[in-house]
Amino acid sequence: MEEALLRAVLFGTPLLLAGLGALLSERGGVVNLGVEGMMALSALVAFAVGLQVHPALGVLAGMGVGSLLGLFLGVFAVSLRANQFVAGLALAALGLGASGLLGKRYEGTPLPNPLPEGMLAMLALILALGLHLLLSRTRFGLYLRSVGENPKAADLFGVSVDGVRYLALALGGGMIGLAGAYLSLAYRPSWTDGMTAGLGWVAIALVILAAWQPLRAIFGAYLFGLLFFLQFRLQGSVPIPSEAFAAMPYLLVILVLALSGRARAPKALGQPFDRGR
Amino acid sequence: MRRILGWLLLALGLAWAQGDKLKACFIYVGPIGDAGWTYAHDVGRKKAEAALPWLETRYVESVPEAQALPVIDRFVKEGCQVIFATSFGYMEAVLEGAKKYPNVIFAHATGIKRAPNVATYMADFYQVYYLNGLAAGALSRTGKVGYVAAFPIPEVKRHINAFTLGVRAVNPKAQVLVRWINAWYDPAKAREATEALLAQGADVFTFTEDTPTVIQTAAKKGAYSFGHYTPMLKFAPDHVVSGQIVHWDVIYIDFLKKVKEGVYTPKNLEKVDYFWLLQHKAVEMGADYGVPINPKHVPLLKKAQMTVGGKKVGVYDRIMALLKDMQSPKPTFDPFTGPIQDRKGVLRIPAGKKATLEELLTMEWAAPGVVGDWPGEPR
Repeated sequence: MEEALLRAVLFGTPLLLAGLGALLSERGGVVNLGVEGMMALSALVAFAVGLQVHPALGVLAGMGVGSLLGLFLGVFAVSLRANQFVAGLALAALGLGASGLLGKRYEGTPLPNPLPEGMLAMLALILALGLHLLLSRTRFGLYLRSVGENPKAADLFGVSVDGVRYLALALGGGMIGLAGAYLSLAYRPSWTDGMTAGLGWVAIALVILAAWQPLRAIFGAYLFGLLFFLQFRLQGSVPIPSEAFAAMPYLLVILVLALSGRARAPKALGQPFDRGR
Repeated sequence: MRRILGWLLLALGLAWAQGDKLKACFIYVGPIGDAGWTYAHDVGRKKAEAALPWLETRYVESVPEAQALPVIDRFVKEGCQVIFATSFGYMEAVLEGAKKYPNVIFAHATGIKRAPNVATYMADFYQVYYLNGLAAGALSRTGKVGYVAAFPIPEVKRHINAFTLGVRAVNPKAQVLVRWINAWYDPAKAREATEALLAQGADVFTFTEDTPTVIQTAAKKGAYSFGHYTPMLKFAPDHVVSGQIVHWDVIYIDFLKKVKEGVYTPKNLEKVDYFWLLQHKAVEMGADYGVPINPKHVPLLKKAQMTVGGKKVGVYDRIMALLKDMQSPKPTFDPFTGPIQDRKGVLRIPAGKKATLEELLTMEWAAPGVVGDWPGEPR
């Protein structure tokens, strides 16, 4: 039982971090479908720096790369007013491909001094609380929400819509980068091509599952982590085929999504803001 | 005019490309750097290329099963004369491609269906798994050995059974707890499956999947483990006891030489099936190349005793004796020598008989001591 809860937290952590990152920009009206690619690339950079310099610096490097990729997405999704979904998907593919291409020489190398998972798990929890406070208690949170709900009105009140969205993408990107760093520096700890294995997509679903609330994201992420662990813990002790168990975490996500139809997305989500129109 | 010129250039290019080089092309199921299955095939490809000056190779990695046929089309267009398909799941694509291109030679790793231009090949580990099972049985204090397995297919079942027979030969009460992750490559699943087994008391681990995750996870809790496919000692130098190591190059070089010499043609491969073992040097027992057992664990294994034919022998000596026997040209020992019952009590291999190749390749039953879900278990 204790073991299951521990696994729920430790496997839920990368999901929580990436989910928070996506949530942050979505609250500002920018859909980020690039999470998977952002995680992949930051996992690689974090590992490379962690291996050659120090794992703590690797974490910072991973976050930095995540932020840069967030800003990169902003160039298309915010400044150029491209379709956010297409831009995000392109970033996902780009990140995965680039990490596979650049990371070849790091494959099969173990990290001699990995980071403790528990410490990063605590950090993720603190970040979730912090993000909750940021959204609900601060001026920036107010700006961010107004930009996500009604960018036109925010603009009229003198809020820089593009500026706030860029900032949200950079901050969110940092969290996504931290998720990638967690995978390669603490959870594995090594790097292989495709090691994110779809977690980025689950993180995007988690945002909806959590109804865009950071505190709910904590439970969503841990629940997924718990089910992911239980599929192996219960396998063989109950007469259910292993394939059905393997599908369980994903089925649950779909179920909750179906039931949470009432959760309201930020009104301007996915819409590029164009002052002239 | 331009079109004609284009075709002419293409034809010229093709003729030049043919030369007297033999072009062999590889379809990989995973990324080449995964330290597992695909990595091992790629090491084999490189060694073959280094050993055979007339050989030219190409490869495409991470090819999903549904994409295998388009890759075959592309390879044939590029002038590949021999195509190696390195995953069981490519079977239909290979057979279809072989019909479409009757002059191209296909070889299908782990395959079970052949055609005039389709051979099958396998470097099999069941003997090595048995030997590692002996060591695992001796090292486990809880009597629970963890096995993280990819897919419930005959190949993996055969390995689990061989391993379990080994474990039980040392400790007749031991259990091998099997967890399926239904993936060849999924580090997160391998990690959580290992965590689940640790939580259930397993203290020695082996696996059949494509990452060193099980080793890394087990080592954190001080549990012993066995590497798979490539030398994995470096991932946990204090905890990796031994492992299974493949030498695909041995098969690739033999096969390609015979193609080059004209022994193998696109018409006579119907009966060409490599099932190469320790005696062919296609597989090796080891934590690293040339290290059958991690020296750190030799004293423990020397101290451990087991009963063979009513007599007490040291586990280490038994492993080494059997390894030597199975590496010899005419081995006398085979792990699947009857009488062997499955875990439901059905006699699967009669007393004094060895399992036939057919029986090995279609093995669906579970050996006594295997604990866990077992899809496709015969009633």
